[in-house]
Amino acid sequence: MELRFSAAEEAFRAEARAWLAANVPGAARPRGEDLRARRAFDLAWQRRLFDAGWAGVSWPREYGGRGATLMEQLIWYEEYARAGAPEITTTFVGLNHAGPTLIACGSAAQKAYHLPRILRGEVVWCQGFSEPNAGSDLASLQTKAVVEGDHLVVTGQKIWTSFAQIAEFQELLVRTDPAAPRHRGITWVICPMDAPGITIRPITTLAGGQDFCEVFYDGVRIPLANVVGALNDGWRVAMATLSFERGTAFLSEQVRLARRVGALVELARRVPGPRGRARAVDDDELARRLARASAEVEAMRAMTYRSVSLAAQTGVPGAEASIIRLFFSELVQRIDVLAMDVLGAAGTRQLGGAEGTPGRWTERYLAGLSQTIGGGTKDIQRNIIGDRVLGLPR
Amino acid sequence: MDLTVGGEQAQIRDAIRGVLADRLPLARVRAVVAAPPGFDPDVWREAAALGWFGLGLPEAEGGAGYGTPEEMLLALELGRALAPGPWRGTILAAHAAPRAVRAAVLAGAVRVAVVDDPAGALGAGARLRGTAVDVADAGVAEAFLVLGARRAAWVPRDARGLGVAAAPSIDPTRPLGRLALDDVGAEPVDADPAALRRLGTVLAAAEAAGVAERTLEMSVAYAKVRRQFGRPIGAFQAVKHRCADMAVRAEVARSVVTFAAVALRDGEGDPARHAAVAKALATDAALANAADNVQNHGGIGYTWEADAHLYLKRAWLLEHEFGRRADHWDALAAPWRA
Repeated sequence: MELRFSAAEEAFRAEARAWLAANVPGAARPRGEDLRARRAFDLAWQRRLFDAGWAGVSWPREYGGRGATLMEQLIWYEEYARAGAPEITTTFVGLNHAGPTLIACGSAAQKAYHLPRILRGEVVWCQGFSEPNAGSDLASLQTKAVVEGDHLVVTGQKIWTSFAQIAEFQELLVRTDPAAPRHRGITWVICPMDAPGITIRPITTLAGGQDFCEVFYDGVRIPLANVVGALNDGWRVAMATLSFERGTAFLSEQVRLARRVGALVELARRVPGPRGRARAVDDDELARRLARASAEVEAMRAMTYRSVSLAAQTGVPGAEASIIRLFFSELVQRIDVLAMDVLGAAGTRQLGGAEGTPGRWTERYLAGLSQTIGGGTKDIQRNIIGDRVLGLPR
Repeated sequence: MDLTVGGEQAQIRDAIRGVLADRLPLARVRAVVAAPPGFDPDVWREAAALGWFGLGLPEAEGGAGYGTPEEMLLALELGRALAPGPWRGTILAAHAAPRAVRAAVLAGAVRVAVVDDPAGALGAGARLRGTAVDVADAGVAEAFLVLGARRAAWVPRDARGLGVAAAPSIDPTRPLGRLALDDVGAEPVDADPAALRRLGTVLAAAEAAGVAERTLEMSVAYAKVRRQFGRPIGAFQAVKHRCADMAVRAEVARSVVTFAAVALRDGEGDPARHAAVAKALATDAALANAADNVQNHGGIGYTWEADAHLYLKRAWLLEHEFGRRADHWDALAAPWRA
């Protein structure tokens, strides 16, 4: 057991830290309605990472990535968050899901075309998995595609597609064999978002943003060459990288959360507390909850470290990854609720605003409600832990 | 960086687990605590022969040459097994007992209980006065290690002016005692009381992590075999999800305890903070898991005959050793409130 990193890893950390200090954009990332501006900002940042050799730290070198070890990835994401570098949002699906899926299952031509564009920050990808009637039960998806000549013709609807409005490509799951058992009739295909027959309708979230959309497909023609893996093999393709989805990008969350709790403590030293207290932090209950939050963030770090060191030995993400995932999502929400209690009535007056304002904390609290829904609800996560980690009967 | 249990550590852990499973299964624990002396002298001797008390001591000082992480693994196993006896105090004493008795401590010939007195209420000088309550395993201790505010002291059981009385405990496997110190001459100990307290805190946390882990295993095993409505109860989401929450807590406990043990050994980060975090969260996990384990066992879990209550009671005793949760939260929050 060892907390210290090796000399080579510390050298890597120093290099990452120095580069980030010199290159993290000074301007705040555009927020709110203007998705085009966010896209431009994120792609410019991705290009900067690429030019310096920091794009795709977890991607193998042969596909233009950094080919970093698991420990180096942990260090990179720690430093990334510590430096306050831009959160990865619009580029997330391309870098952490579609890209790795293509690396694992794509054809030579698909890899050659798409991977460099993702790494260089030239394209945005979105995900087309969920449907109105296929949420937690993803394998029940019904958007259908029929083969006509050398094309798939897609008809149906997807939902909860983040950044569909500004994406070039979509990783799309369609049903190509309605007669087959439900996991066997699905195909994973690259959908160009400018194809005729696609209609995108933004959905306004309870936090007021329009980050995600419904996408409708009316006879959309996609070349068969865009199929990743084989026809009707899409479930396997999707599962190949599902564990990757939260994969190593997740490593930065503990640092991000530590920063957030730090900011929350500072807030609690500024704003008045309940029962006439001069400061929120003078209230015993709030102080203990803050202490507990900071302890739980430290636990998140310890769990991440334990998980990474286990994975570094076995080569695969372990069972504890789903445990960390559940703990994290609920911890975020505890911290968000604590922020609302620290703010007091000020948290009810405004939704949204600049960093550090009450409205920003409130917006984060509301947006945080998605933590236990997206990418598998907390109920599904508990099923996964019960079934796959604990081996309980189904 | 590596927070896994290494090959040699796994051997140590497996050996400890093997001895405890073989010699101190819970049925045997119940029998041992039902009659004086309340612990198993044979197991105690065997533990000493296997070097358990000196795990964290350099070989030059008669130890096994390992460190806090290995002591943590030992404490975790003792917690899983609910092993009776003044284990933690004796492990601490291996680091702190006066030179003349150090070898006897390592040999298991001197059993030691801890008196945690962080405020120094018993006195700061060479004479100790006052009352110490809730001293775990005081009745079988042959010496006491008093951790004061600024100094640690050694008090033999037969010290003049020392009275030791049994006191009630809800935990059948961990008796408590009450010490009356009437101007007792204490031998100063050449060890930093803060460092000993941090080690004791992490060892108590590890014991709690063992409770959290073992109760999870008990619940999962039972949920797989107990059938109602024609299915194992573990197939029902209400039970499955409760077990999933227990798994999260056990993982939290295991992780913070591991992190703190390494931090203590290497002086990484802020060891006092890591120890406090480990103790508070591991105890929290132990209490919640032990209670959920009673629930998961249904009617049988509510009986004296079932083992579930023993873990719950141990968890409550652990909550009050080396600082309760609220104490640790307040310590963490203190700098913010200055």
